Amino acid sequence: MATITLMTRNPLYLMILLFVARIVSAVCGTVVSRTKIHFWRLAAIIFAFSILFNFLMVRVGGTVLFVLPQHWWLIGGNKTVEAVLYGAINGLALITLLAIFLAFNASVPVSDLVRLTPRALKNVGIIVLLAVTYVPETISQLQRIRESQAIRGHRLRGLRDWQPLVIPLMIGALERSMVIAETMVSRGYGATANVKHPRWIRIGLLLGMSLAIIGWLITFRLGIAGWFLLVGGVFLVIFAIYASGRNVNHTQYRQRSWTRRDWLIAVFAIIPFLMVLLSIWLVDGFSLFYTPYPNLTLPPFNLAVGLSLILLAAPALLVESSYAYDFD
Amino acid sequence: MHMILIDSLSYRYPNSSESALQNVSLEISAGEFMILAGPSGSGKSTLLRSINGLVPHFTGGEISGKVRVNDLEVIEVGPHVLSRVVGFVNQNPESQALLDHVEPEVAFALENAAIPAQEMRIRVEEVLELMDLTHLRDRPISSLSGGERQRVAIASVLALRPQVLLLDEPTSQLDPQSAEKVLLSLVRLNEDLGLTVVVVEHRLERVLRYGDRLVYLENGRIMVDDLVRDALLEVPQLPPLVQLARELDWRPLPLTVKEGRRFAAQTYSEQVNGCTSSDVQLKTDHEPPRLRAFDVHFAYNNSSVLRGVNLDVKGGEIVALMGRNGSGKSTFLKCIMGLLQQASGTIEIAGFSTQGSSVVEIARDTAYLPQNPDDLLFAESVSQELQITLDNHQMSDNGSIERLLQDINLESQRDSYPRDLSTGQRQRVALGSVTITRPKLLLLDEPTRGLDSGTKERLITILQRWAKNDMGILIVTHDVELVAKIAKRVLILSQGEIIASGSPNIVLSSSPLFAPQITRLFPDKDWLTPDDAIKCISRQQQPSTNKSGRQPPMG
Repeated sequence: MATITLMTRNPLYLMILLFVARIVSAVCGTVVSRTKIHFWRLAAIIFAFSILFNFLMVRVGGTVLFVLPQHWWLIGGNKTVEAVLYGAINGLALITLLAIFLAFNASVPVSDLVRLTPRALKNVGIIVLLAVTYVPETISQLQRIRESQAIRGHRLRGLRDWQPLVIPLMIGALERSMVIAETMVSRGYGATANVKHPRWIRIGLLLGMSLAIIGWLITFRLGIAGWFLLVGGVFLVIFAIYASGRNVNHTQYRQRSWTRRDWLIAVFAIIPFLMVLLSIWLVDGFSLFYTPYPNLTLPPFNLAVGLSLILLAAPALLVESSYAYDFD
Repeated sequence: MHMILIDSLSYRYPNSSESALQNVSLEISAGEFMILAGPSGSGKSTLLRSINGLVPHFTGGEISGKVRVNDLEVIEVGPHVLSRVVGFVNQNPESQALLDHVEPEVAFALENAAIPAQEMRIRVEEVLELMDLTHLRDRPISSLSGGERQRVAIASVLALRPQVLLLDEPTSQLDPQSAEKVLLSLVRLNEDLGLTVVVVEHRLERVLRYGDRLVYLENGRIMVDDLVRDALLEVPQLPPLVQLARELDWRPLPLTVKEGRRFAAQTYSEQVNGCTSSDVQLKTDHEPPRLRAFDVHFAYNNSSVLRGVNLDVKGGEIVALMGRNGSGKSTFLKCIMGLLQQASGTIEIAGFSTQGSSVVEIARDTAYLPQNPDDLLFAESVSQELQITLDNHQMSDNGSIERLLQDINLESQRDSYPRDLSTGQRQRVALGSVTITRPKLLLLDEPTRGLDSGTKERLITILQRWAKNDMGILIVTHDVELVAKIAKRVLILSQGEIIASGSPNIVLSSSPLFAPQITRLFPDKDWLTPDDAIKCISRQQQPSTNKSGRQPPMG
């Protein structure tokens, strides 16, 4: 979805995507989400800024509203309706991206995300998890420090005034990370993770990556042969990561089991996605590219593309309100 | 059988000229419950960390001697290997949670130890049950109270089924009720599972009755090492009950109020009320009170935190505001300082409403010491720390810095880097940095949290001196013994309402939750501190004053 959002500037498609993302967020909102953002308020601000910015900075467009003196730095020149419109479309695209991000956040808890990472990359996952607990703690610490400095008569006026906030924050954060490190060490973290991977795995990883890069480079010249190299290299990398993961001595407490419903959701998620791709590819890719410049036109709309975009929301209908865990 | 064997252990932190531990030898048997006591900086925490190898593997530094736990050479094998044998719990419940939910947190150590999923499930179930956390298993850790978090921390180390549990001041950040619950869970682990427990603790009154043995350290050396009752005869800085019992020669030393009551009831049946010095009468001057809060309401996220709080603090008066965690005490202080805006009601400082004043304006006349003094400190030296506050308020020095440093016993630390100082000293620097403006009103939030009793005494002396100089002081605290010592008036806040208010001997003695040990010992008297009791009792005993008339123990 995010890719399509980045590709298209057609306001009609963008609006469909935006609503699909909001539906997904609303349905999956039962998962506790850390980000309590007032979505529509934030959206309005983004929208307004995007319009204003484009309106002031861009001089292109046929329908001139008024003219600012040319010598005005940055904002001088023709002010056009098209610029307003393009700003609005850009704003819409940004809001849609935000909505998609929030929908993703609402439907996948971070800890699940980490479980999805391959075992070989487990450490990366744990670092992400630690950050998830560490960051909110740091924010509340900053709040406390601000209060503490305020009661000493501290005011934030210039850059130098940040010192009383930054120094206690940094020292506090450092002290906290020492406690975390100490806790991790005394709970045995890293005791068993110190596994040497066999040499062939490391060579495989390196070889796979080289193949993939070379393949990607020569697709421009050799076409299909390059593609073969690319795909082969990628497979080799995946296999090497998988193999090294099997050497990591580590178990998982809870594994989400793959239920029939999960299959259903997956199928319903993939089919509309393929439909979107197909409709863009085969039916009408051009309707994605819309620009109000140089003169206003109505954005094109292709029924097949629009319908398949709407269908992206289909899996959300299948999600039950509770998140069921199962032991494996 | 020795579980832990420490043999002539000496240790020095990197970049430090003094030894943290000097020639410490200690044997701890399996199944023992040991208390490690001593003033801050005496090496208690260092000794504790040397048992699981964090010292020296995590800290660096120079070490000599031997530490053996369950036939493992600690200094050689290090904390990773020891994590299976020794569990370690830190004092800070906030920063030792690694993950965001209770169950994954408990399973974390097991996942790393590559325990198979089936067994992991059994073990997690088991420790959740043991630590009474089953009902909290799906909760995010950030939503738990300090005591619950501390129990989660203990559960997460227990999951590895260690034979030894080390705890570094596990209750120092908790209110008495939560602390009791944490300690009781330790007792159960010790008694039922035969777990060897070593606890570092400042607040001896909380933990004494549970321990088998007490080791007291000073300057990195073991000064006292004995069974609890015997050790207490030699240890300085005691909880009130033991202090009184030692003074009055009660033997064997009572460790609980229940044990003490036998002696109290036998010895002094006569009524000896009225010998405590009655409260110093406050000047009934006509100036408005330093602080007057009238019908203050505050709500957070639609749940009301303060519901009509009324409170006066006069000049020269020390008032204590008590209540359980979450009763709204700290919120009330923040409303006074303007850090939070009350929904309704008025707050007047020296007769003027704070409505519309900025935090900075309020802070000029009202000092507020928050819970964590480290949040205040950032300057290069102690005296600079005070200077900065003066600069912030555009005030000039005129020798007030020197005077204040003397007042708070920091004149020799004038040029030290504040963060290198001890906990008590850092707190006094923070106190200095908020009171350098010579405020008429001082608010303190849990000022004795994490302080050893020597440092606490020093703080009490300072506050009493300031009150004598007509400062109004409001202390928010759980520390019953502190209140018994210095407060002239006590208010108890519960669910945002003041439910009791009056002089300490009336309010404290009527509330079983907040009664100090001495009041519980002599429920029909109005004594609060050992000094009160000793004064009265010795006066009564004056006619037959022979030390040999001590009461024999119950036989």
